[in-house]
Amino acid sequence: MDEVKRIDEDKLTEGQCNSPETCAVEKKKGISEDWLALWLGLFIFVLSLGVFGGADILGWGISTKEWTDSSKAMAPVSKTFQGVKGEIIKIDGQKITIKKADGKDETVSVKEDTASLQVGGRYDKKGISGFASLALTYLAMLMIMCVGAQFLNANIGKFAVGFTVIFWLSYLCWFAGHYAYIAATKDKLEAFKIPWSLSLTGESGFIIALLVGLIIGNFFPKLAEKLKEASRPELYIKTAIVIMGALLGLKAAQSFSLASNIMFRGLCAIIEAYLIYWAVVYYVARKYFKFSREWAAPLASGISICGVSAAIATGGAIRARPVVPIMVSSLVVVFAVVEMVILPFVAQSGLWSEPLVAGAWMGLAVKTDGGAVASGAMTDALIRAKNLEMTGVAYESGWITMTATTVKLFIDIFIGIWAFILAVLWCTRIECKPGQKAQPIEIWNRFPKFVIGYVLTFVILLIVCWPAARAVAPVDEEIKGLKKEITSVEKQVASIADPAALPALNEKIKAARDRIKGLNDQVTSQRATMASANTATAESNVFRVMFFVFTFFTIGIVSNFKKLWEEGIGKLAAVYILCLFGFIIWIGLFISWLFFHGVKPPVAG
Amino acid sequence: MAEQPKLAEEMKKMEYEPLLPVEKKLVAWSVGLGLALLIFLYWVSSTFFPSGH
Repeated sequence: MDEVKRIDEDKLTEGQCNSPETCAVEKKKGISEDWLALWLGLFIFVLSLGVFGGADILGWGISTKEWTDSSKAMAPVSKTFQGVKGEIIKIDGQKITIKKADGKDETVSVKEDTASLQVGGRYDKKGISGFASLALTYLAMLMIMCVGAQFLNANIGKFAVGFTVIFWLSYLCWFAGHYAYIAATKDKLEAFKIPWSLSLTGESGFIIALLVGLIIGNFFPKLAEKLKEASRPELYIKTAIVIMGALLGLKAAQSFSLASNIMFRGLCAIIEAYLIYWAVVYYVARKYFKFSREWAAPLASGISICGVSAAIATGGAIRARPVVPIMVSSLVVVFAVVEMVILPFVAQSGLWSEPLVAGAWMGLAVKTDGGAVASGAMTDALIRAKNLEMTGVAYESGWITMTATTVKLFIDIFIGIWAFILAVLWCTRIECKPGQKAQPIEIWNRFPKFVIGYVLTFVILLIVCWPAARAVAPVDEEIKGLKKEITSVEKQVASIADPAALPALNEKIKAARDRIKGLNDQVTSQRATMASANTATAESNVFRVMFFVFTFFTIGIVSNFKKLWEEGIGKLAAVYILCLFGFIIWIGLFISWLFFHGVKPPVAG
Repeated sequence: MAEQPKLAEEMKKMEYEPLLPVEKKLVAWSVGLGLALLIFLYWVSSTFFPSGH
C-alpha cells in the first residue's frame, strides 16, 4: 500500500500532476490541505465569534449586492462599519430612525448620547467605503492564506502573486454576476427599474468565475501555470465547508427536526450510493469494457463515490499501480466541471418543487468535494429564484447547500471504511499481492480531516443557539398571532358604526400590544444571542462566499480538457460517460427523490 | 524525469482478465444488500423521520 500512499492527493485534485513521478509527495511537503483547511476555517470562525463579546472583528468584510449602479454594489457586511446619513424621523433610546436620500427608512443603534440629536435634524455617520472594505478583505485573506501556504511549504512569492490574481479576477466575476440584468429575480425588477432579467441570482457569479477559469486553463496555459501555486480548489472549498458549519449549525438550531431529518436521510442516501453505484460500475467496466481489476476498481470508486480521494484510496486498497488512480482522477476532475455547468440548471428546471431532492442529487452526482458543494450552492440560488417566480414562496437560503454538503461529507467520511472493506475482500477473496495487508489505521488515514472542523463549528453554534432559538420560536409564533389580531381589530375600529364599542376595541389593541411587549421582554437575552449568532455567521459568510468563488474559478483553471484529450481518454472516458450519464446520475436522482421528496426548506421571514 | 505514461498506451497494455465468480458474487451481494437496505431505510425514514413522506 506504501507505493500508492505516496501520491499527493492535493496535487492530483488540483491538476498539478499527471504521472506517478510528478504526483509523488515531495519530501519537503508540509501539512496536508485537509488539515490546513481545518485550521483556516476555525481561525475565521473564532474571529467571527467576537460579536458575542461585543467585538466586531470581521465586520469590515465585503458584502456585494445586486446592482445597476456599480457604486452602490459594495459595502462592509456589518452596520458598524457602514456609513449612514439622512434626516432623523424618530429617536427611541439609543436607536434612531432616519429617512435616507433614496426615501427609505433605516433604524440604527448609536453609541453617542442621543440628547444632542433631535427629530428633523441630520444624522451623518462616517463608515468605510465599499472599495476600502474589498481592499481590507483582500489584504486579510492574502495574509491568512500566505501563512497557510507557509505550512504547506508552498513557494510564498508565487503563491502571493497567484492568489492576488485569483482574488481580483474571481471577485470581478462575482461582481459581474450581481449585475441586476443577470441576477435580479422577478420580484426585484420594479425596484431596479429594469424590464427584464435572466433571474440567475447573484450566485451566477460562480458560473462566470468557472467559465473565466476554464478559458484561462485551456487557452492561456502560461497564465494558468503562473497561477498554479495558488490554484487550490480543494483547499478553498474545504475551508469554506468548515466556515459553513457555523451557518448550518445556526440553521439547525432554528429548525432542529429538519436538520436531523436531512442528516438521517443523507446517511441513507450514501449507503445506497456506495452499495449500488460501486457494484454496478465495477460490473459494467469488467464485463462490457473488459477492464482489468486494477483499472475497474479505482474507476468504480472514482465514478461512483468521491472522485479523486476514492480512486486513490481504492488504488491503495487493491495495490493498483499509482498511474491508475492518477489517470482516473484526472478524468473525474474534468467531468465534475461538466456536471457543475449542467446539473444545477437541470435541477432548476425539473426539481424546483423538490428543493432538497435537488440538493441531495448534487451531493450524490457531482464527484469532487468542490464540484458537489459548489453545485449545491448554485442550485440553492437557482431553485429559490424559480420558486419565488413560480409560486411566490421564498425559501430560506442555505438548506439546499446544506443537503448537498451533508450528503457529500457522509460520502467522504465513509471512503476510509470502504477502502478497508475492499482491501480485506481483495486480499481474502480476490487476489492478495505480496505484502498486502488491510490495516484498520487506514480508516483514520483516509478520514477527511476538515470534516472535524465542520462538525466543530456546526456543534458549537448549535449548542450556543439552540436554547435561545427554542425560547424565541414560540414567542415569535405568539407575537405573530397577536399582530394579526391587532390588524383585524384595527380594521374593525376603522369601519365601526357604533362609537360605544370603540373603547372596548381600543382596550383589546392595548392589551395585545402590552402582551407583545411583555413577551419581547421575556426573551431579550435570547434574542441578543440569536442576533449575535446571525451577525457572526453573516461576517464569516463573507469569507465562505469568497472561498466558494475561488473554488469555481480555480476548478476552471485546473481543468485542462485539451491535455486530457491529447493523452487519449478514449475507452476510459467512454465507460465514464456511459456510467455517469447513463445511470449514476439517474440512480442518484431516484435515491435523492426517495429519501428527500416532500421535505421542504423553511420559508424565509 | 521519466517519460509520462500516456493514458491511451496504458489502456492498450491492459490485459484481459475474465470476470471471476467471486467478483460476480461481490457485485450481486453488494447490489442485493443495497436493495434490501433501500427498503429498510426507506421504512425507517418514513416511520421515524416522517416529514415529507
